[in-house]
Amino acid sequence: MIPSDHFVRYYNEVFKTLAAMGHEHMEAYWRELGRLQAQELAEAFRAGGIQATYDYWQKILEEENCLGELTLTEDYFEFKMNRCPSLGKVLDNDAAPCHQYCDHCMGWIEPTMDAAGLHVAHDIHSRTEPHCVLRVYADEAKMRDWEATALLPCRPYDDPPAKA
Amino acid sequence: MLRYRDDGNLHKDFHRTTNGTISYLRRTHGREVLDETFRRTARDVYRSIHDDLKAGDWDQLIEHWTYFFDREEGDYTLEHTEDEIRLTVHSCPAIAYLLARQIEVDPDFCRQTEVMNTTWAEGTPFAISTEVLGDGRCVQTIRRNRP
Repeated sequence: MIPSDHFVRYYNEVFKTLAAMGHEHMEAYWRELGRLQAQELAEAFRAGGIQATYDYWQKILEEENCLGELTLTEDYFEFKMNRCPSLGKVLDNDAAPCHQYCDHCMGWIEPTMDAAGLHVAHDIHSRTEPHCVLRVYADEAKMRDWEATALLPCRPYDDPPAKA
Repeated sequence: MLRYRDDGNLHKDFHRTTNGTISYLRRTHGREVLDETFRRTARDVYRSIHDDLKAGDWDQLIEHWTYFFDREEGDYTLEHTEDEIRLTVHSCPAIAYLLARQIEVDPDFCRQTEVMNTTWAEGTPFAISTEVLGDGRCVQTIRRNRP
């Protein structure tokens, strides 16, 4: 049994296996994750709006041992991740990290928010440091304005990022 | 000594994601690609377990088994003889988690255990067998090879 504590290190190996077969295979996997997560969450997010996204990540913050801050305003929900346990574990690892590891997050969140009629942007700051900021808006234009200020916006379904 | 010794909250829902990932890889890419992800995990993520086994030391593998089965409240017994250690899993916590939520367990779910055990034994003085009995039960046995 792969312990649940070690799932993300296994995930990292899945990404590297798929990436070696071609970027389109990794992208197809993210879309499958998005499809499954949308089945679980999209209806609740659509019904509850950004408050429901806040409620969901409040639970995740605790369950997944994240160090972060949640903010809810009239316009957006923000998850400021100060220490991502997922990338943190992938970096604390005898195996090498997948360069596009962080993209799996938006890989499922973006399709889920699309299905919920919400708009998300993700500033991952750096691919080698476990901190980032995610914002969910009801208004797409406001999301785009904020995304334009991001240090490293994550758009996994656009062109694959160049390896730094 | 364990290379990874997690504490804090458990997020057992990752077993659901593991099950979904296994199902996706099996259906989309086939068993060989699925097994490759487990071989990579055994060789690279758990390199220190593999290195210890190559050096003839099974302690870290046994500690890995017992530490995480205890942490996830699995039901098991461990029998120890001079040349063999047998882990009998009466209730796998990953499968118990899935079944409790009426989630269909992928037919290849236990490949993770079978392939990782086989990979860990490669190039070492040990043989590791995995007998999957169904319903979250299995027997994993590590034996020291006699010259």
